[in-house]
Amino acid sequence: MPKLIIDDIPVEVAPGTSVLEAARSVGITIPHFCYHPALAIAAACRLCAVKLLDGPVKGIQMSCALPAQDGMVVSTTDPEALKMRALVIEWLMLNHPHDCPVCDEGGECLLQDFTIAGGHSRRRYQGKKRTFQNQYLGEGIHHEMNRCIECYRCVRFYRDYAGGTDFGVMGSAGRVYFGRFQEGPLESPFSGNLVDICPTGVFTDKTGRFRARYWDYQFAPSICQHCSVGCNTSPQNFQRETIKIVGRRNDQVNGWFICDRARFDKSYLNDPQRPREPRLDGATCGYDVAVDAAAKSIAEFVRKNGADKLALVGSTRLSLEGMILLAQLAEVAGGAKVCYFDDAGQQQGSLAAAKLLHEENAAYVKDIEQAQWISLHALDLMEEGPMLALAVRKAFLAGAQIFLVAGDMLPAMKVLPFKYTAVETLDQVPFEGGGKGVIICGAGSKDPDLLAEMASSGAKLVMLQPGPNGFAAALLAQQHAAVPLAELVAARQVQGVVCFEADVPEMLLSDLEVLANADWRRGAVEAKAPIFLPTTTWAESDGTAINYEGRAQRFERSRVAGLPLKGLDPKYYGSATEAVSLHPPRVHRKDVPGGAERDAWQVMAQLIERLGGEALEPFSGKWRALRNLDPEGEGVRIFEMGLGE
Amino acid sequence: MIPETLKTSLQARVASAITAREAAVDVMKELQAHYGWLTDEAVQEAAALLGLSPLQVEELATFYEMIYRRPVGKKVIHVCDSISCWCADCDKIIQYLKDKLGVGLGGTTADGMFTLVPCCCMGMCGDSPAMSVGGVPYGRLTPELVDEILEAERHKP
Repeated sequence: MPKLIIDDIPVEVAPGTSVLEAARSVGITIPHFCYHPALAIAAACRLCAVKLLDGPVKGIQMSCALPAQDGMVVSTTDPEALKMRALVIEWLMLNHPHDCPVCDEGGECLLQDFTIAGGHSRRRYQGKKRTFQNQYLGEGIHHEMNRCIECYRCVRFYRDYAGGTDFGVMGSAGRVYFGRFQEGPLESPFSGNLVDICPTGVFTDKTGRFRARYWDYQFAPSICQHCSVGCNTSPQNFQRETIKIVGRRNDQVNGWFICDRARFDKSYLNDPQRPREPRLDGATCGYDVAVDAAAKSIAEFVRKNGADKLALVGSTRLSLEGMILLAQLAEVAGGAKVCYFDDAGQQQGSLAAAKLLHEENAAYVKDIEQAQWISLHALDLMEEGPMLALAVRKAFLAGAQIFLVAGDMLPAMKVLPFKYTAVETLDQVPFEGGGKGVIICGAGSKDPDLLAEMASSGAKLVMLQPGPNGFAAALLAQQHAAVPLAELVAARQVQGVVCFEADVPEMLLSDLEVLANADWRRGAVEAKAPIFLPTTTWAESDGTAINYEGRAQRFERSRVAGLPLKGLDPKYYGSATEAVSLHPPRVHRKDVPGGAERDAWQVMAQLIERLGGEALEPFSGKWRALRNLDPEGEGVRIFEMGLGE
Repeated sequence: MIPETLKTSLQARVASAITAREAAVDVMKELQAHYGWLTDEAVQEAAALLGLSPLQVEELATFYEMIYRRPVGKKVIHVCDSISCWCADCDKIIQYLKDKLGVGLGGTTADGMFTLVPCCCMGMCGDSPAMSVGGVPYGRLTPELVDEILEAERHKP
């Protein structure tokens, strides 16, 4: 363990730690551009200069590329180092345009921060700046090459880390150009990370340009709800609209990055067509009126047909809180059935995975990255868990063998950022006793025997769930012996359903009475339900999700529910009695337009109370340990709390 | 489209390399000799031959100064503007070439004979100032010598 002194502070770090990281560990940020913890060292920008006063090396050194060694005495504030950094920043700024006011990066720009930190405030250079033609890079990313400071972060990420081949660096010397051979959408499904990784505004998020500044945004730690990997994100909201979504570091899940689906697929959150008003028999009503009516409807149905003819239907979209309260509600309703899956195959596979996995065999991301062999079992990794492809790529680059078992060569397989060998069965994967191997498969719609066979191989397991919160749904389905809706319908065991964020296909509904529907999205259920209770999405609610490896992660409300201010229908602020101009709003109101939505689990709690029960805090009993989950932490694998099977 | 014979010989060249990438410069030079310059089509053909993406070929093509990604004249003049030649007053020679040919740096003469580009050191520091014309190196340049060289090169095949 090297011991060194940085700015008079004694520091002890792990061998191999750079001086830059060692300084960061004691709260000293050395300015840097090309350095990024997730990428290989380039030492291209020369900004992180420090002076070594004593020890094995002396003089000005680049702190990012200098491993900490015993006896080093480092000064980040030595006049010589300060001068060096000031000159470096000045030369990096030579060609950079003075366009911060019209640059979307302004306010969240590393170049701005470190230019100021470097003490460069007055331009001496009077010459011509080099300029470039920008390229069209697709609908996600805007390209502005003139701002480039040649740190090579983008190409190191895109090519080395994410395995893309259609973006790179051309030219030489002062003409280097970062782009594509020809204009066109970037092919990598991780291209959006260029926005996060560029230290200035060369790549900005086209889907949210010029809407707000960094200081305008409302943030909260959040968890992506697109697949069961559970990547950590940070939605940036402005005036009730999710403008951008950026990656949030969690080394146990997604590292620094997120996939393009997590980043760009957000229009549904802001959709003005999203159902936001509670409705009773087709007419808008107050939320409590709708809840009362739903409770009454449930009570009447139970009285008439018996509770066992009623099913409360959730889905893998529900938060863990919602799933727990769904079971409570069923109990209060006199023992109604509860469904977490509508498809029998999905429940079977999902449950089997939840049962099979335990602390020893459930793979951590590190296990994937450090595996000697990885077997992908008949899955479309880019669809079911794109970020894991980057973990597999790390293993591949370190020499691991990758196999695709029983794959039907799905078209998406072509874009996998690693090479693999296709084999027909798991038996053909050459491994002995599992040692440092990982099997990755999708759990939904898989034969439990097949999953058990994989588990018996001795390899670490990744069983991707069929929905974002599928693991939690499986745990709850198991605990409450839930039967998938399709089976109940086939056996004619139910006559009525109440749906909570459930995507029930129309064919299942044909012979069912839908008493009420609580959701934030439109679907087949909506048309059949006389009572509609709008719920909040993950962006507007607090909640907990359990990812494929059993990791419980808390997400926080990142903004209030309601229609985005942009494009708001004038009916919400116009006067009924006099004609007024559209802007600014003339009539003030205290409630948020379209903001009646409630979290699904709170709706359930209110129904429980209306039905004469007492709604318990979701995290009580065996779930109590999840009460104080830190949304900014790494999450907790439920096995550690004895919550798994 | 390149002729089948050229394609076959380039495939053989790529096959004989330990990694395809190391044959990239040879392939680009051959294609450049065929087309006169490395056209967009040629970049894509090189990519297909080498098993790289067109961008990966473009990265190499734009890095090397003797791979031309724009049309050039029959012979390309590379005149050195690096440190040793600069000490030997290459600026005067460059200016002379510009005036004589009636083009700026990067320009091609109206008759399509010469393209003038600066280059960064050909290893002829001992004979500075230096240039190469159509691949033939010339040193210890004077305006008179430049006249002679250009005249001779104009008539050489």
